[in-house]
Amino acid sequence: MDIELSNEDLEFRNEVRAFFEENAYKNGEDFNKWRMDWFAKAREKGGWDVPKWPKEFGGPGWTPTQHYIWEQETATANLPWDLPFGLGMLAPVLMAHGSKEQQDRFLPDIRDRKVNWCQGYSEPGAGSDLAGLKTKAELSADGTHYVVNGTKIWTTMAHIADWIFCLTRTDDSGIKQQGITFLLFPMKQEGIEVKPIITLGGSHSVNTVFLTDVKVPVENRIGEEGQGWTYAKGLLQHERTGLAGISRSLVALEKLKEQAASVPRGNATLMDDPAFRGKIAELEVDLWATEYTELRSLASAAAGAAPGPESSILKLKGTEIQQRIQKLTVEAGGIYSASWGAKPAGPAFAKNGMGGYMSSRAYTIYGGASEVQKDVIAKNVLQIKRSSK
Amino acid sequence: MNFDLSEEQQMLQDSVARFVQDNYELDKRTELVASKQGFSDDNWKTIAELGWLGMPFSEADGGFGGNQVDTMVMMEQMGKGLVCEPFFASIVLGGGALKRAANAEQKAALLPGVIDGSRQLALAYAELQARFDLHDVTTTARAEGDGYVLNGHKSMVLNAATATEIVVSARTSGGQIDESGISLFIVDPKADGVKLENFPTVDGLRASEISFDNVALTANSLLGELDGGFAVLNATANDGILALAAEAVGALEVLYKDTVAYTQEREQFDHPLSDFQVLQHRMVEMFMEYEQCKSLLYRATLESVQGDDATAQRNVHALKHLIGKAGIFIGENAVQLHGGMGMTEELRVGHYFKRLLVIDSQFGNADFHLQKFAA
Repeated sequence: MDIELSNEDLEFRNEVRAFFEENAYKNGEDFNKWRMDWFAKAREKGGWDVPKWPKEFGGPGWTPTQHYIWEQETATANLPWDLPFGLGMLAPVLMAHGSKEQQDRFLPDIRDRKVNWCQGYSEPGAGSDLAGLKTKAELSADGTHYVVNGTKIWTTMAHIADWIFCLTRTDDSGIKQQGITFLLFPMKQEGIEVKPIITLGGSHSVNTVFLTDVKVPVENRIGEEGQGWTYAKGLLQHERTGLAGISRSLVALEKLKEQAASVPRGNATLMDDPAFRGKIAELEVDLWATEYTELRSLASAAAGAAPGPESSILKLKGTEIQQRIQKLTVEAGGIYSASWGAKPAGPAFAKNGMGGYMSSRAYTIYGGASEVQKDVIAKNVLQIKRSSK
Repeated sequence: MNFDLSEEQQMLQDSVARFVQDNYELDKRTELVASKQGFSDDNWKTIAELGWLGMPFSEADGGFGGNQVDTMVMMEQMGKGLVCEPFFASIVLGGGALKRAANAEQKAALLPGVIDGSRQLALAYAELQARFDLHDVTTTARAEGDGYVLNGHKSMVLNAATATEIVVSARTSGGQIDESGISLFIVDPKADGVKLENFPTVDGLRASEISFDNVALTANSLLGELDGGFAVLNATANDGILALAAEAVGALEVLYKDTVAYTQEREQFDHPLSDFQVLQHRMVEMFMEYEQCKSLLYRATLESVQGDDATAQRNVHALKHLIGKAGIFIGENAVQLHGGMGMTEELRVGHYFKRLLVIDSQFGNADFHLQKFAA
């Protein structure tokens, strides 16, 4: 057992820090130009614009430790915004199951941040039970295209997306995991209507997407017809490990401590309040443990082993910790957390506290509700067999 | 011993329940919340005509002589619809201070209007540095000539934008956190030097930040004894906590029942969600917490009516702690069990959850009152 970073790792960390510093956004700079330049320069570093892509597709081919260092550094650095859908979710599917033509057609635009993607998975009747999806894709008589009809919901950023990757049903005769087909199509076309959903945080990021007789050429199908579930399952695993956000929580907790120390409480501050301090401490203990759970998971991945049982708890623990940080931020804001919109008084952080907290309630719902995650762990990790009695 | 409502209280409960049913469908509430004022003048008129605004005032003051139990009965029903009209701010808070401390002249000038709804009140007690301490007051009222000059700033004043009078706590002597030396004043929000910044709160109600810049007050603006305002403020805040807790109990009932109903309708994995034992147990816990809140609400309300002050005070601390804690537990789980739908503005649960969060932040949160209870 050894937790020291090697000299190579330390050198890598310095290199990452230096890169972030050199390319930080400077006040007054054109934001879009900076963003595109940043990615171009990251690309010159040897695939730093697509850290998670494998080497053969232009990624940096880092060790898990290097990935971990990158995550840690990105949590404090101010990186240009990026959407995960094309880069982190569709790209791995294309790499594993797409044809050479499809890879050549879609991956470059994803890498260049030219095309925004959204994910057409959940449906009004298929949430936790995603395989129960009903959006129908029928092959045309001449076999050249599918005609898609149905409704997708909770589609993040559908209102700005250029393309969608979409799970559709091509066969409902067998068990529901079969007969699902993975299709790609442009969002700006006839038959697609996007309706915003306003969430409790007061913001608009998710949508309902109505699909009416949308024509999708067969060459936009990934892999085999009816095998979409197999491709999507791997993708969900990707999504789930990415949701733990441990490095970000470590940074957020330090910020919360600073914020609480700025709130007067009698002759001292809220950080001196035993109840609040106790909650922060409890949170920190959990976060320390979760950080090492993630490290253990990374270490076994580094050794080339299958993810150990510990990696299954990362999304559960990670999202719960994020929610607790948001909750304590609301508590720290005291009465000022109740204001909405104009904020004439009170600490600045209270301004978005409640919105952030309300939004965080979705963390234990999306990407597999916590209750469903626990079912999966009971079945796959603990291998509890259900009696059929 | 008996926990039954009297015949009059039963009628009052039915009447408020009917009002909520008729006027507080989610769509209608959403419209009110989005309006400039944030509540309906018509509803306010109806509430006044039904006599509810006079309930907690003595018959000598032109009211119906009700006590905290009557307010509880009304607020619990209002909590089921999250009523936006300022019963709480004007009657429980502003009215609570007036009925305890006003002299005959002040009562005659103000209470008839408060009770018929033509006047509205607000209570300005919170300050930036004070967090939840009512006795931490830096706003000052300096004696000058026959009257006073008011300077300072008050935060998160509910219903100030539509109030005709605002009751303000100010320091007339002593140090910043002394209980003695605080006095209450009746202030005209339109007076020179009073500046309001109005904004909506997370739960859709309205509040204001108010600054006072050399506001001239007459001698008869003083409400109650000079330097003796804290006792009135504290007693009024305790009534406020009881009322908020009653509203919360009404909201909690909606949250757990909506969740039970939704999980029986919503099918996933070829079963209604309610078939899953883990969700059944969660809902049983929500129900248990709701019942416990209701019990403590009865206990604290009855001790406030019948018990000695110290016992009543400790009960109020216990109640506000449990309401805050259980409110968040039930709210979070109601959203969780509704899944993505619980995250939207389209269903009731999110709105009720927000109200519970705001209730926890008012007059001291769960932690604050647990520490007071333990002290």
